[in-house]
Amino acid sequence: MSEFGLEPGRVSLRSAGPITFGPAGILFLADNAAATVFAVDVADPGPAGGAEPFDLEDVDARVGSFLGCEPGDVVIKDMAVHPLSRNVYLSVQRGRGEAAQPVLIRISVADGAIDDVPLDEVSFAAVAIGDAPGEDDERLDSTLPLGDEGEEMQFGTFKIRVLRQPIRTATVTDMAYAGGALLIAGLSNEEFSSRLRRIPFPFTAGVTGSSLEIFHVSHGKWETAAPIRAFVPYDGGASILASYTCTPVVHFPLADLTDGAKAVGRTVAELGAVNQPLDMVSFVQDGEEYLLVANSAHGLVKIACRDIDSQPPLTEPQQPVGVPRETKDLQGIRRLANLGGSYVLALQSDDAGRLHLRSLKTASL
Amino acid sequence: MTEATWSHSGGGDCIRLTGLPAGADVHVFPGTAVAAGSLPPMAGRLERDGADLCFVPRFAFLDGTTYTVTVEGTRAAILVRPRPERPAATEVTGIRPTAAEVPVNLLRFYIWFSAPMSEGCAAGQVRLARDDGSIIAGALLPTEHELWDASRRRLTVLLDPARIKRGLPGHQEVGYPLRAGEPFRLVVGDGFRDARGLPLRVSAERRYEVGGEERRHVDPVSWELAVPPAGTCEPLRVTFGRPLDHGLLARCLHVRGPGGELVDGTAQIGPGEQSWQLVPSRAWASTVHQLVVEPVLEDLAGNSVSRVFDRDLARPEDQSRPARPVTIVFQPG
Repeated sequence: MSEFGLEPGRVSLRSAGPITFGPAGILFLADNAAATVFAVDVADPGPAGGAEPFDLEDVDARVGSFLGCEPGDVVIKDMAVHPLSRNVYLSVQRGRGEAAQPVLIRISVADGAIDDVPLDEVSFAAVAIGDAPGEDDERLDSTLPLGDEGEEMQFGTFKIRVLRQPIRTATVTDMAYAGGALLIAGLSNEEFSSRLRRIPFPFTAGVTGSSLEIFHVSHGKWETAAPIRAFVPYDGGASILASYTCTPVVHFPLADLTDGAKAVGRTVAELGAVNQPLDMVSFVQDGEEYLLVANSAHGLVKIACRDIDSQPPLTEPQQPVGVPRETKDLQGIRRLANLGGSYVLALQSDDAGRLHLRSLKTASL
Repeated sequence: MTEATWSHSGGGDCIRLTGLPAGADVHVFPGTAVAAGSLPPMAGRLERDGADLCFVPRFAFLDGTTYTVTVEGTRAAILVRPRPERPAATEVTGIRPTAAEVPVNLLRFYIWFSAPMSEGCAAGQVRLARDDGSIIAGALLPTEHELWDASRRRLTVLLDPARIKRGLPGHQEVGYPLRAGEPFRLVVGDGFRDARGLPLRVSAERRYEVGGEERRHVDPVSWELAVPPAGTCEPLRVTFGRPLDHGLLARCLHVRGPGGELVDGTAQIGPGEQSWQLVPSRAWASTVHQLVVEPVLEDLAGNSVSRVFDRDLARPEDQSRPARPVTIVFQPG
């Protein structure tokens, strides 16, 4: 892993965030509390996976049992599938508040066995991703830490330990590896922006990558920018399809993401009112590439990539709402990952709020 | 007869088991509904300590959680991890904006707490309510990603941008989350948990009147400056003409001296986020100074110095402006 700049050591994960696989089975983990992305060699033990479906009922209860907590104390932040073994990786927050603990879970696709990936002795690299406070932004929130964090300060005759942390933060909402770089979408807790960060991988010391705002036009009348909620590279990484917190689905070529240029994407679809996109994945069916979009309110939306390429920008505010798509009556799907071959893996919530892993046969989608 | 108790082993918490034969098959499960074989056991290891056996968990026991010990597949003991009794002491210390009236296309609130908080409560405990107590449904952006500062004391809450942006289905089908002329309250329920899992000492709320749309750039050139006399430490006062975003105000305004150096001092945001002042730590020199305004500074509706929230392509005045700081020159007299 030295060719990717990974060095052995301990990954001090402070929070569980989005995950995605990169080259050579390297897993990228976003740690929003530490404003860092780690690239980790997870040393997946599995043999190359087959082509069978994989289903696991009550995955939140199973992971909770392994972690020694109730299902309600398991927050699955993201899901990824190892590109070779097809083992399932979950980014999990175990417990809440000061008891919260980030854990990387691995589920064997061979037998459903659950294990955690120890991060105290792994090969890894790290890059800072925060909208780093500007040189003039000296705002720090001072609190009294519970442990030995922070710095010791003298107040009169006594000393106390004070933890000073930035007020401005960026929260990673989605990541993908494409074109030799890690692409990161995020939400600021202050300004309303649509920044997509591109960090070359292997990470290079001092290089935090480029970051630019991607505008899109709604119905030929309004140009706007909004945080990207989920996105997926396709066409070998040449194109990006992004879905926004305010629901437009926007296409832009990866080549447009150059420093200093104003990037304007092409709105190709609307996902509908009172709805949030949750995740996107690409897959190949009968030699053609398709995209799936999981939504909070609507079902699973399937879009053919060739239709995206031929879809003119949306100019009419009324129906029809852009690129042809099929809506599958599959509710409660929160995360998607390509299971390789003929299946897409879905993390699905049932009416009772319990979570299950379900394989969706791409030929039937 | 097996006896199980909370104990310590090797510096960590454990479940101590007595009266077990050597080589016994022992497992621990969270909860009480343990069906054999259906769930994996809790990760951990068994250590021999004298005549006792200790289950040392890989992940710490959680306060308030019940644990079941099985021996040879049969339930042998149930223990409840005690939750420390503490009084609720955390409270909301501020809700921004503090302006009495907000535009109908208001975008953002900030909620400050007196102590670090738990994630996962915002969707259920932060709501907008009308004067009659009814909830304004679907007003706030439902997001899995709560927007906290690093210390988990300031929460940023967004109104659903799909209902604020013109031309999107959310706005066209459902309209603005707010209604001009209809007051509302932002309510923070006392069920919001702090980082120790305790509820708030008391719920909190702030009431707002609702005005018309705000769709203009933030325009520093139109601001009023009350320039202080030279040789004094009187404040430089800046009045905006409309409320601006509290979080961004705190980092987007600076004063530089004639050599470009930052003027050190105490900055303060005025009532209703309509003004800002800087009291210098040293007396003003009678030379040219610059008020520097960062282009990302937004008003309450998300319009910034460099761009409006959603630009009407037919309106030339809405065109984006250069994303570089705007400077306003002044000279203490």
